[in-house]
Amino acid sequence: MKKYFPIVIASVFVGVYLVLSLGVFPPLYLSKDLPSPQPYLEVKIPNNSISLGESFDLNIFSKNIGDYGDIHILSIGFPSLEKITDEVKVINSNFNHQYNFIEKNTLVGSNYSAGDHKVESQYALIEIMNRPSPPNGSYDFQLLITPKNAGLYEIYVKVIEIPHTGELSHFPQQGLLDPQGEYVSVYSVMVNR
Amino acid sequence: MIHMELESNLIKKSRLIFLSGNLMMSLGILFVTVGGSWDITNHVLNKPESFESVPHGVMYSGVALALIGTAISFLIWHKIEDKKSLKISLKLGVIGIAVLLSAGPIDFIWHSNFGLDGLLSPPHMSLIIGMILTSVGGMIGLVRYHVLSHSKISKFLIVIGLLPIWLASSGLISSLSLPFSNTGFFNFNPEPVSALIVATLCYPFLISLILISSSRLSKNKFGIITLIGGLFLAIYGTTAILPNFAMSDTILFYSTNLIPLVAADYIISKLNYKHAKYIGAGLLGSTFYMFYYPYIMYTYNEVLLGKLVSPSLIYSIYFELIVQVFFITLIPAVLAAFAGCYFSKHVCEKIEA
Repeated sequence: MKKYFPIVIASVFVGVYLVLSLGVFPPLYLSKDLPSPQPYLEVKIPNNSISLGESFDLNIFSKNIGDYGDIHILSIGFPSLEKITDEVKVINSNFNHQYNFIEKNTLVGSNYSAGDHKVESQYALIEIMNRPSPPNGSYDFQLLITPKNAGLYEIYVKVIEIPHTGELSHFPQQGLLDPQGEYVSVYSVMVNR
Repeated sequence: MIHMELESNLIKKSRLIFLSGNLMMSLGILFVTVGGSWDITNHVLNKPESFESVPHGVMYSGVALALIGTAISFLIWHKIEDKKSLKISLKLGVIGIAVLLSAGPIDFIWHSNFGLDGLLSPPHMSLIIGMILTSVGGMIGLVRYHVLSHSKISKFLIVIGLLPIWLASSGLISSLSLPFSNTGFFNFNPEPVSALIVATLCYPFLISLILISSSRLSKNKFGIITLIGGLFLAIYGTTAILPNFAMSDTILFYSTNLIPLVAADYIISKLNYKHAKYIGAGLLGSTFYMFYYPYIMYTYNEVLLGKLVSPSLIYSIYFELIVQVFFITLIPAVLAAFAGCYFSKHVCEKIEA
Protein backbone atom coordinates (compact mmCIF):
# COMPACT_ATOMS: atom_id res chain seq x y z
CA MET A 1 0.00 0.00 0.00
CA LYS A 2 2.86 2.31 0.89
CA LYS A 3 4.20 1.77 -2.62
CA TYR A 4 1.20 3.58 -4.08
CA PHE A 5 1.27 6.47 -1.64
CA PRO A 6 2.82 8.87 -4.23
CA ILE A 7 -0.02 8.04 -6.64
CA VAL A 8 -2.64 8.83 -3.99
CA ILE A 9 -0.95 12.14 -3.12
CA ALA A 10 -0.51 13.10 -6.79
CA SER A 11 -4.14 12.18 -7.57
CA VAL A 12 -5.34 14.57 -4.88
CA PHE A 13 -3.14 17.30 -6.39
CA VAL A 14 -4.41 16.60 -9.91
CA GLY A 15 -8.02 16.53 -8.70
CA VAL A 16 -7.64 19.95 -7.09
CA TYR A 17 -5.96 21.23 -10.26
CA LEU A 18 -8.74 19.98 -12.56
CA VAL A 19 -11.47 21.39 -10.32
CA LEU A 20 -9.71 24.77 -10.26
CA SER A 21 -8.83 24.99 -13.95
CA LEU A 22 -11.98 23.49 -15.42
CA GLY A 23 -14.61 24.18 -12.79
CA VAL A 24 -13.68 27.26 -10.76
CA PHE A 25 -11.63 29.65 -12.90
CA PRO A 26 -13.56 29.55 -16.23
CA PRO A 27 -16.93 30.67 -14.79
CA LEU A 28 -15.12 33.15 -12.55
CA TYR A 29 -13.35 34.87 -15.45
CA LEU A 30 -16.30 34.55 -17.81
CA SER A 31 -18.49 36.39 -15.30
CA LYS A 32 -16.30 39.48 -15.67
CA ASP A 33 -17.85 42.26 -17.74
CA LEU A 34 -16.34 42.50 -21.20
CA PRO A 35 -14.64 45.83 -21.83
CA SER A 36 -16.86 48.32 -23.57
CA PRO A 37 -14.85 51.13 -25.16
CA GLN A 38 -16.98 53.96 -26.54
CA PRO A 39 -15.83 56.43 -29.17
CA TYR A 40 -16.80 60.06 -29.51
CA LEU A 41 -16.14 62.45 -32.35
CA GLU A 42 -16.11 66.20 -33.02
CA VAL A 43 -15.42 67.74 -36.41
CA LYS A 44 -14.75 71.41 -37.03
CA ILE A 45 -14.61 73.11 -40.41
CA PRO A 46 -13.95 76.88 -40.07
CA ASN A 47 -15.36 77.77 -43.53
CA ASN A 48 -18.49 76.20 -44.94
CA SER A 49 -18.04 77.98 -48.24
CA ILE A 50 -14.86 78.68 -50.20
CA SER A 51 -13.86 79.70 -53.71
CA LEU A 52 -12.32 77.23 -56.13
CA GLY A 53 -8.55 77.23 -55.60
CA GLU A 54 -8.85 78.02 -51.89
CA SER A 55 -8.23 75.54 -49.10
CA PHE A 56 -10.14 74.66 -45.95
CA ASP A 57 -9.17 72.97 -42.69
CA LEU A 58 -10.81 69.81 -41.41
CA ASN A 59 -10.14 69.41 -37.68
CA ILE A 60 -11.15 66.09 -36.17
CA PHE A 61 -11.09 65.38 -32.47
CA SER A 62 -11.87 61.84 -31.34
CA LYS A 63 -11.89 60.22 -27.93
CA ASN A 64 -12.56 56.96 -26.13
CA ILE A 65 -15.08 57.83 -23.44
CA GLY A 66 -15.63 54.21 -22.40
CA ASP A 67 -13.53 51.31 -21.08
CA TYR A 68 -10.11 50.23 -22.18
CA GLY A 69 -10.16 49.20 -25.84
CA ASP A 70 -7.80 47.48 -28.24
CA ILE A 71 -8.05 49.73 -31.28
CA HIS A 72 -9.49 53.20 -31.92
CA ILE A 73 -10.11 53.56 -35.67
CA LEU A 74 -10.86 56.85 -37.38
CA SER A 75 -12.03 56.73 -40.97
CA ILE A 76 -12.46 59.71 -43.29
CA GLY A 77 -14.19 59.13 -46.61
CA PHE A 78 -14.05 61.34 -49.71
CA PRO A 79 -17.02 60.28 -51.89
CA SER A 80 -15.88 62.54 -54.73
CA LEU A 81 -12.36 61.09 -54.92
CA GLU A 82 -11.03 57.81 -56.33
CA LYS A 83 -7.68 58.27 -54.64
CA ILE A 84 -6.01 60.72 -52.29
CA THR A 85 -3.84 63.14 -54.23
CA ASP A 86 -2.18 66.44 -53.35
CA GLU A 87 -5.58 68.04 -52.79
CA VAL A 88 -5.70 66.41 -49.34
CA LYS A 89 -2.79 67.05 -46.99
CA VAL A 90 -2.38 65.76 -43.45
CA ILE A 91 -1.30 68.70 -41.30
CA ASN A 92 -1.34 67.14 -37.85
CA SER A 93 -1.92 63.77 -36.21
CA ASN A 94 -1.25 62.48 -32.72
CA PHE A 95 -2.42 58.91 -33.37
CA ASN A 96 0.29 56.38 -32.55
CA HIS A 97 -0.02 54.61 -35.90
CA GLN A 98 0.64 55.96 -39.37
CA TYR A 99 -2.41 56.89 -41.47
CA ASN A 100 -3.27 54.91 -44.60
CA PHE A 101 -4.51 56.35 -47.87
CA ILE A 102 -6.95 53.86 -49.36
CA GLU A 103 -7.92 54.00 -53.04
CA LYS A 104 -11.29 53.10 -54.54
CA ASN A 105 -11.79 49.32 -55.09
CA THR A 106 -9.54 48.31 -52.21
CA LEU A 107 -10.78 45.64 -49.79
CA VAL A 108 -11.80 47.25 -46.52
CA GLY A 109 -13.52 46.03 -43.35
CA SER A 110 -17.29 46.19 -43.15
CA ASN A 111 -20.14 45.89 -40.65
CA TYR A 112 -17.87 46.69 -37.72
CA SER A 113 -16.09 43.35 -38.11
CA ALA A 114 -12.55 44.73 -37.67
CA GLY A 115 -11.54 43.41 -41.07
CA ASP A 116 -13.13 39.99 -40.71
CA HIS A 117 -15.71 40.74 -43.41
CA LYS A 118 -14.46 42.83 -46.30
CA VAL A 119 -16.01 44.81 -49.13
CA GLU A 120 -14.49 46.91 -51.91
CA SER A 121 -14.20 50.60 -51.12
CA GLN A 122 -16.36 52.81 -53.33
CA TYR A 123 -14.24 55.95 -52.93
CA ALA A 124 -10.97 57.18 -51.40
CA LEU A 125 -10.53 56.87 -47.64
CA ILE A 126 -8.04 57.78 -44.96
CA GLU A 127 -7.84 55.30 -42.09
CA ILE A 128 -5.85 55.80 -38.96
CA MET A 129 -5.64 53.93 -35.68
CA ASN A 130 -4.49 54.26 -32.13
CA ARG A 131 -3.52 50.95 -30.53
CA PRO A 132 -4.41 50.27 -27.77
CA SER A 133 -7.18 52.68 -26.86
CA PRO A 134 -7.01 53.65 -23.18
CA PRO A 135 -10.00 55.24 -21.41
CA ASN A 136 -10.13 59.00 -22.07
CA GLY A 137 -7.47 58.71 -24.76
CA SER A 138 -8.03 61.67 -27.10
CA TYR A 139 -6.72 62.18 -30.61
CA ASP A 140 -6.43 65.03 -33.08
CA PHE A 141 -6.28 64.72 -36.82
CA GLN A 142 -6.07 67.76 -39.04
CA LEU A 143 -6.35 67.95 -42.82
CA LEU A 144 -5.86 70.79 -45.28
CA ILE A 145 -8.09 70.24 -48.29
CA THR A 146 -7.89 72.13 -51.60
CA PRO A 147 -10.78 70.94 -53.78
CA LYS A 148 -10.09 70.72 -57.50
CA ASN A 149 -13.70 71.05 -58.64
CA ALA A 150 -16.52 73.41 -57.84
CA GLY A 151 -19.68 72.13 -56.15
CA LEU A 152 -20.60 70.50 -52.86
CA TYR A 153 -17.53 68.80 -51.35
CA GLU A 154 -18.61 66.04 -48.98
CA ILE A 155 -16.61 64.25 -46.32
CA TYR A 156 -17.73 61.18 -44.34
CA VAL A 157 -16.29 60.67 -40.88
CA LYS A 158 -16.71 57.77 -38.45
CA VAL A 159 -14.86 56.31 -35.51
CA ILE A 160 -14.95 52.72 -34.27
CA GLU A 161 -13.64 51.01 -31.15
CA ILE A 162 -12.41 47.41 -31.09
CA PRO A 163 -13.63 45.25 -29.43
CA HIS A 164 -16.89 46.20 -31.01
CA THR A 165 -19.33 44.95 -28.42
CA GLY A 166 -22.47 46.87 -29.31
CA GLU A 167 -24.12 50.06 -30.56
CA LEU A 168 -21.98 52.25 -28.34
CA SER A 169 -18.77 50.92 -29.89
CA HIS A 170 -19.11 53.17 -32.94
CA PHE A 171 -19.81 56.82 -33.60
CA PRO A 172 -22.07 58.04 -35.04
CA GLN A 173 -24.72 55.55 -33.94
CA GLN A 174 -27.19 56.61 -36.61
CA GLY A 175 -27.36 58.60 -39.81
CA LEU A 176 -26.08 57.67 -43.24
CA LEU A 177 -24.90 54.09 -43.83
CA ASP A 178 -21.76 54.07 -45.97
CA PRO A 179 -20.90 51.31 -48.50
CA GLN A 180 -19.13 49.47 -45.65
CA GLY A 181 -22.45 49.18 -43.82
CA GLU A 182 -21.28 51.53 -41.09
CA TYR A 183 -22.76 54.84 -39.94
CA VAL A 184 -20.98 58.05 -40.94
CA SER A 185 -21.35 61.73 -40.09
CA VAL A 186 -21.52 63.81 -43.24
CA TYR A 187 -19.78 67.19 -43.47
CA SER A 188 -19.72 69.44 -46.50
CA VAL A 189 -18.16 72.59 -47.87
CA MET A 190 -19.55 74.53 -50.82
CA VAL A 191 -16.84 75.24 -53.39
CA ASN A 192 -17.82 78.25 -55.52
CA ARG A 193 -16.45 79.12 -58.95
CA MET B 1 55.91 17.00 -12.31
CA ILE B 2 55.22 20.77 -12.37
CA HIS B 3 54.81 20.58 -16.12
CA MET B 4 52.17 17.82 -15.76
CA GLU B 5 50.30 19.78 -13.11
CA LEU B 6 50.32 22.87 -15.30
CA GLU B 7 49.02 20.84 -18.22
CA SER B 8 46.27 19.33 -16.08
CA ASN B 9 45.28 22.78 -14.87
CA LEU B 10 45.23 24.05 -18.43
CA ILE B 11 42.97 21.18 -19.56
CA LYS B 12 40.66 21.84 -16.61
CA LYS B 13 40.60 25.53 -17.41
CA SER B 14 39.94 24.87 -21.10
CA ARG B 15 37.00 22.66 -20.22
CA LEU B 16 35.60 25.35 -17.94
CA ILE B 17 35.97 27.96 -20.69
CA PHE B 18 34.22 25.59 -23.13
CA LEU B 19 31.47 25.15 -20.54
CA SER B 20 31.16 28.95 -20.22
CA GLY B 21 30.78 29.12 -24.01
CA ASN B 22 27.98 26.53 -23.89
CA LEU B 23 26.36 28.36 -21.00
CA MET B 24 26.42 31.61 -22.99
CA MET B 25 24.93 29.84 -26.01
CA SER B 26 22.03 28.51 -23.94
CA LEU B 27 21.47 31.73 -21.99
CA GLY B 28 21.71 33.74 -25.23
CA ILE B 29 18.96 31.67 -26.86
CA LEU B 30 16.94 31.92 -23.64
CA PHE B 31 17.11 35.73 -23.96
CA VAL B 32 16.07 35.52 -27.63
CA THR B 33 13.04 33.39 -26.74
CA VAL B 34 12.03 35.68 -23.85
CA GLY B 35 12.36 38.75 -26.11
CA GLY B 36 10.50 36.92 -28.88
CA SER B 37 7.57 35.97 -26.66
CA TRP B 38 7.35 39.56 -25.37
CA ASP B 39 7.53 40.89 -28.93
CA ILE B 40 4.66 38.63 -30.04
CA THR B 41 2.58 40.00 -27.15
CA ASN B 42 3.34 43.56 -28.27
CA HIS B 43 2.22 42.65 -31.78
CA VAL B 44 -0.96 41.04 -30.48
CA LEU B 45 -1.62 44.13 -28.37
CA ASN B 46 -1.09 46.17 -31.55
CA LYS B 47 1.54 48.40 -30.02
CA PRO B 48 3.39 50.35 -32.71
CA GLU B 49 6.42 48.46 -34.01
CA SER B 50 9.81 50.11 -33.60
CA PHE B 51 13.32 48.76 -34.02
CA GLU B 52 14.40 50.17 -30.65
CA SER B 53 11.77 48.37 -28.54
CA VAL B 54 12.79 46.64 -25.28
CA PRO B 55 11.83 43.12 -26.52
CA HIS B 56 14.00 43.66 -29.60
CA GLY B 57 16.86 44.77 -27.30
CA VAL B 58 16.51 41.56 -25.26
CA MET B 59 16.50 39.49 -28.45
CA TYR B 60 19.57 41.15 -29.96
CA SER B 61 21.47 40.90 -26.64
CA GLY B 62 20.65 37.20 -26.65
CA VAL B 63 21.91 36.76 -30.20
CA ALA B 64 25.15 38.60 -29.28
CA LEU B 65 25.59 36.43 -26.16
CA ALA B 66 25.00 33.21 -28.10
CA LEU B 67 27.43 34.36 -30.80
CA ILE B 68 30.14 35.15 -28.26
CA GLY B 69 29.50 31.82 -26.54
CA THR B 70 29.80 29.91 -29.81
CA ALA B 71 33.00 31.80 -30.71
CA ILE B 72 34.52 31.00 -27.28
CA SER B 73 33.58 27.31 -27.61
CA PHE B 74 35.01 27.24 -31.14
CA LEU B 75 38.32 28.86 -30.12
CA ILE B 76 38.90 26.72 -27.02
CA TRP B 77 37.63 23.43 -28.42
CA HIS B 78 41.01 22.22 -29.78
CA LYS B 79 42.54 22.63 -26.31
CA ILE B 80 40.07 20.46 -24.39
CA GLU B 81 40.79 16.85 -23.57
CA ASP B 82 37.47 15.22 -24.53
CA LYS B 83 37.20 16.83 -27.96
CA LYS B 84 35.37 13.93 -29.53
CA SER B 85 32.47 13.82 -27.08
CA LEU B 86 31.94 17.59 -27.36
CA LYS B 87 32.37 17.87 -31.12
CA ILE B 88 28.63 17.51 -31.78
CA SER B 89 27.89 20.32 -29.32
CA LEU B 90 30.27 22.65 -31.14
CA LYS B 91 29.06 21.57 -34.59
CA LEU B 92 25.40 22.25 -33.74
CA GLY B 93 26.32 25.54 -32.10
CA VAL B 94 28.26 26.80 -35.12
CA ILE B 95 25.63 25.69 -37.66
CA GLY B 96 22.85 27.04 -35.43
CA ILE B 97 24.40 30.45 -34.94
CA ALA B 98 25.14 30.70 -38.69
CA VAL B 99 21.50 29.91 -39.52
CA LEU B 100 20.32 32.29 -36.78
CA LEU B 101 22.53 35.14 -38.04
CA SER B 102 21.41 34.56 -41.62
CA ALA B 103 17.89 35.47 -40.43
CA GLY B 104 19.05 39.12 -40.25
CA PRO B 105 19.75 39.66 -43.96
CA ILE B 106 16.85 37.39 -44.96
CA ASP B 107 14.58 39.53 -42.76
CA PHE B 108 15.88 42.73 -44.39
CA ILE B 109 15.34 41.36 -47.92
CA TRP B 110 11.89 40.09 -46.96
CA HIS B 111 10.80 43.40 -45.40
CA SER B 112 12.19 45.35 -48.37
CA ASN B 113 10.21 43.28 -50.85
CA PHE B 114 7.07 42.20 -49.04
CA GLY B 115 6.62 44.58 -46.09
CA LEU B 116 5.78 43.23 -42.67
CA ASP B 117 5.94 39.48 -42.18
CA GLY B 118 3.72 37.21 -40.09
CA LEU B 119 4.78 34.64 -37.51
CA LEU B 120 5.45 32.00 -40.15
CA SER B 121 7.89 33.41 -42.70
CA PRO B 122 11.31 32.45 -44.13
CA PRO B 123 13.23 34.89 -41.87
CA HIS B 124 11.38 33.73 -38.76
CA MET B 125 11.86 30.07 -39.71
CA SER B 126 15.57 30.67 -40.12
CA LEU B 127 15.65 32.40 -36.73
CA ILE B 128 13.75 29.61 -34.96
CA ILE B 129 15.70 26.75 -36.55
CA GLY B 130 18.97 28.54 -35.71
CA MET B 131 17.77 28.96 -32.13
CA ILE B 132 16.85 25.29 -31.79
CA LEU B 133 20.19 24.08 -33.20
CA THR B 134 22.23 26.48 -31.07
CA SER B 135 20.33 25.63 -27.91
CA VAL B 136 20.65 21.88 -28.56
CA GLY B 137 24.40 22.41 -29.07
CA GLY B 138 24.63 24.36 -25.81
CA MET B 139 22.56 21.78 -23.94
CA ILE B 140 24.71 18.83 -25.07
CA GLY B 141 27.84 20.64 -23.87
CA LEU B 142 26.24 21.48 -20.51
CA VAL B 143 24.83 17.99 -19.94
CA ARG B 144 28.10 16.29 -20.85
CA TYR B 145 29.88 18.57 -18.40
CA HIS B 146 27.31 17.53 -15.76
CA VAL B 147 27.90 13.85 -16.55
CA LEU B 148 31.66 14.26 -16.23
CA SER B 149 31.69 16.53 -13.16
CA HIS B 150 28.84 15.00 -11.07
CA SER B 151 28.79 18.13 -8.93
CA LYS B 152 25.58 19.14 -7.16
CA ILE B 153 25.38 22.52 -8.89
CA SER B 154 25.84 21.02 -12.35
CA LYS B 155 22.26 19.66 -12.16
CA PHE B 156 21.09 23.22 -12.75
CA LEU B 157 22.99 23.18 -16.02
CA ILE B 158 20.38 20.69 -17.25
CA VAL B 159 17.67 23.25 -16.54
CA ILE B 160 19.58 26.04 -18.31
CA GLY B 161 20.30 23.71 -21.22
CA LEU B 162 16.75 22.40 -21.73
CA LEU B 163 14.68 25.55 -21.11
CA PRO B 164 15.75 27.42 -24.28
CA ILE B 165 15.15 24.28 -26.37
CA TRP B 166 11.64 24.06 -24.93
CA LEU B 167 10.89 27.71 -25.63
CA ALA B 168 12.47 27.75 -29.12
CA SER B 169 10.66 24.53 -30.13
CA SER B 170 7.41 25.97 -28.76
CA GLY B 171 8.03 28.88 -31.12
CA LEU B 172 8.28 26.44 -34.03
CA ILE B 173 5.01 24.71 -33.11
CA SER B 174 3.30 28.07 -32.59
CA SER B 175 4.46 29.20 -36.04
CA LEU B 176 2.94 26.09 -37.57
CA SER B 177 -0.34 26.28 -35.69
CA LEU B 178 -1.25 29.89 -34.87
CA PRO B 179 -3.16 31.98 -37.42
CA PHE B 180 -0.74 34.91 -37.16
CA SER B 181 0.74 34.72 -40.66
CA ASN B 182 -1.70 36.46 -42.99
CA THR B 183 0.00 39.57 -44.36
CA GLY B 184 -0.67 41.85 -47.30
CA PHE B 185 1.52 39.81 -49.64
CA PHE B 186 1.17 36.24 -48.43
CA ASN B 187 -1.26 34.19 -46.41
CA PHE B 188 0.91 31.61 -44.65
CA ASN B 189 -1.74 30.88 -42.03
CA PRO B 190 -1.89 27.10 -41.51
CA GLU B 191 -5.05 25.31 -42.56
CA PRO B 192 -7.19 25.39 -39.34
CA VAL B 193 -7.76 21.64 -38.90
CA SER B 194 -4.11 20.80 -39.65
CA ALA B 195 -3.07 23.52 -37.19
CA LEU B 196 -5.31 21.99 -34.54
CA ILE B 197 -3.77 18.56 -35.11
CA VAL B 198 -0.24 19.99 -34.97
CA ALA B 199 -0.97 21.78 -31.68
CA THR B 200 -2.75 18.79 -30.12
CA LEU B 201 0.09 16.39 -30.85
CA CYS B 202 3.24 18.51 -30.83
CA TYR B 203 2.79 20.57 -27.66
CA PRO B 204 2.20 17.53 -25.37
CA PHE B 205 5.03 15.66 -27.11
CA LEU B 206 7.38 18.59 -26.48
CA ILE B 207 6.32 19.11 -22.85
CA SER B 208 6.86 15.43 -22.15
CA LEU B 209 10.15 15.23 -24.07
CA ILE B 210 11.68 18.19 -22.23
CA LEU B 211 10.39 17.52 -18.72
CA ILE B 212 10.95 13.76 -18.74
CA SER B 213 14.43 14.30 -20.21
CA SER B 214 15.21 16.75 -17.41
CA SER B 215 14.18 14.09 -14.92
CA ARG B 216 16.18 11.33 -16.64
CA LEU B 217 19.30 13.49 -16.93
CA SER B 218 19.13 14.43 -13.24
CA LYS B 219 18.59 10.80 -12.25
CA ASN B 220 14.98 11.41 -11.19
CA LYS B 221 15.91 14.07 -8.67
CA PHE B 222 12.75 15.61 -7.20
CA GLY B 223 12.46 19.31 -8.02
CA ILE B 224 14.02 19.46 -11.48
CA ILE B 225 10.70 19.08 -13.36
CA THR B 226 9.08 21.64 -11.07
CA LEU B 227 12.00 24.04 -11.51
CA ILE B 228 12.19 23.92 -15.30
CA GLY B 229 8.37 23.93 -15.63
CA GLY B 230 8.09 26.76 -13.12
CA LEU B 231 10.62 28.83 -15.06
CA PHE B 232 8.67 28.18 -18.26
CA LEU B 233 5.46 29.38 -16.57
CA ALA B 234 7.26 32.42 -15.15
CA ILE B 235 8.58 33.40 -18.60
CA TYR B 236 5.21 32.95 -20.33
CA GLY B 237 3.41 34.63 -17.45
CA THR B 238 5.58 37.73 -17.55
CA THR B 239 5.89 38.03 -21.33
CA ALA B 240 2.50 36.83 -22.61
CA ILE B 241 -0.02 37.42 -19.81
CA LEU B 242 1.00 40.29 -17.53
CA PRO B 243 1.66 42.82 -20.35
CA ASN B 244 -1.96 42.42 -21.49
CA PHE B 245 -3.96 44.77 -19.26
CA ALA B 246 -7.22 42.90 -19.90
CA MET B 247 -6.00 39.54 -18.63
CA SER B 248 -3.35 40.31 -16.05
CA ASP B 249 -5.62 38.93 -13.29
CA THR B 250 -5.72 35.54 -15.03
CA ILE B 251 -2.14 34.99 -13.84
CA LEU B 252 -3.77 33.31 -10.83
CA PHE B 253 -5.26 30.66 -13.11
CA TYR B 254 -1.96 30.27 -14.96
CA SER B 255 0.04 29.80 -11.77
CA THR B 256 -2.06 26.75 -10.84
CA ASN B 257 -0.13 24.94 -13.59
CA LEU B 258 2.54 24.45 -10.95
CA ILE B 259 0.29 21.77 -9.41
CA PRO B 260 0.61 19.15 -12.21
CA LEU B 261 4.33 19.92 -12.39
CA VAL B 262 4.81 19.13 -8.72
CA ALA B 263 2.51 16.08 -8.98
CA ALA B 264 4.37 14.63 -11.99
CA ASP B 265 7.71 15.42 -10.36
CA TYR B 266 6.60 13.63 -7.20
CA ILE B 267 5.30 10.56 -9.05
CA ILE B 268 8.45 10.18 -11.13
CA SER B 269 10.89 10.66 -8.28
CA LYS B 270 9.03 8.79 -5.52
CA LEU B 271 6.91 6.10 -7.16
CA ASN B 272 8.74 2.82 -7.28
CA TYR B 273 7.16 1.63 -10.50
CA LYS B 274 8.73 0.82 -13.87
CA HIS B 275 6.39 3.05 -15.85
CA ALA B 276 6.20 5.96 -13.41
CA LYS B 277 7.65 8.28 -16.04
CA TYR B 278 4.80 7.45 -18.43
CA ILE B 279 2.25 8.32 -15.75
CA GLY B 280 4.03 11.64 -15.17
CA ALA B 281 4.35 12.28 -18.91
CA GLY B 282 0.64 11.59 -19.54
CA LEU B 283 -0.32 13.94 -16.75
CA LEU B 284 1.94 16.71 -18.03
CA GLY B 285 0.91 16.27 -21.67
CA SER B 286 -2.79 16.45 -20.84
CA THR B 287 -2.34 19.98 -19.47
CA PHE B 288 -0.84 21.50 -22.64
CA TYR B 289 -3.84 23.75 -23.33
CA MET B 290 -3.38 25.32 -19.88
CA PHE B 291 0.41 25.53 -20.22
CA TYR B 292 0.23 27.41 -23.49
CA TYR B 293 -2.39 29.92 -22.31
CA PRO B 294 -3.30 32.35 -23.83
CA TYR B 295 -2.32 32.22 -27.52
CA ILE B 296 -3.11 28.53 -28.09
CA MET B 297 -6.76 29.60 -27.98
CA TYR B 298 -6.43 31.14 -31.47
CA THR B 299 -5.75 27.69 -32.98
CA TYR B 300 -8.81 26.05 -31.40
CA ASN B 301 -11.06 29.08 -31.89
CA GLU B 302 -10.48 28.87 -35.66
CA VAL B 303 -12.09 25.42 -35.79
CA LEU B 304 -14.45 25.30 -32.81
CA LEU B 305 -15.89 28.82 -32.48
CA GLY B 306 -14.62 31.04 -35.31
CA LYS B 307 -15.02 34.13 -33.15
CA LEU B 308 -13.33 37.40 -33.95
CA VAL B 309 -10.55 37.80 -31.37
CA SER B 310 -9.15 41.10 -30.21
CA PRO B 311 -6.58 41.33 -27.40
CA SER B 312 -9.02 42.17 -24.62
CA LEU B 313 -11.26 39.22 -25.57
CA ILE B 314 -8.50 36.58 -25.60
CA TYR B 315 -9.13 35.36 -22.05
CA SER B 316 -12.88 35.20 -22.48
CA ILE B 317 -12.71 33.04 -25.64
CA TYR B 318 -9.98 30.92 -24.05
CA PHE B 319 -12.15 30.09 -21.01
CA GLU B 320 -15.17 29.52 -23.22
CA LEU B 321 -13.20 26.75 -24.92
CA ILE B 322 -11.19 25.25 -22.07
CA VAL B 323 -13.49 22.37 -21.00
CA GLN B 324 -14.33 21.38 -24.57
CA VAL B 325 -10.67 21.43 -25.68
CA PHE B 326 -9.52 19.52 -22.60
CA PHE B 327 -11.87 16.59 -23.24
CA ILE B 328 -11.45 16.57 -27.04
CA THR B 329 -7.65 16.54 -26.82
CA LEU B 330 -7.17 14.40 -23.70
CA ILE B 331 -6.51 11.04 -25.38
CA PRO B 332 -4.34 12.24 -28.30
CA ALA B 333 -2.41 14.52 -25.94
CA VAL B 334 -1.69 11.71 -23.50
CA LEU B 335 -0.59 9.42 -26.36
CA ALA B 336 1.67 12.14 -27.77
CA ALA B 337 3.13 12.65 -24.30
CA PHE B 338 3.85 8.90 -24.07
CA ALA B 339 5.68 9.18 -27.40
CA GLY B 340 7.67 12.12 -25.99
CA CYS B 341 8.54 10.06 -22.92
CA TYR B 342 9.67 7.11 -25.05
CA PHE B 343 11.71 9.37 -27.33
CA SER B 344 13.33 11.11 -24.35
CA LYS B 345 14.81 7.78 -23.22
CA HIS B 346 16.72 7.40 -26.48
CA VAL B 347 17.69 11.07 -26.63
CA CYS B 348 19.08 11.00 -23.08
CA GLU B 349 21.00 7.80 -23.73
CA LYS B 350 22.63 9.42 -26.75
CA ILE B 351 23.45 12.65 -24.92
CA GLU B 352 24.95 10.85 -21.95
CA ALA B 353 26.88 8.33 -24.06
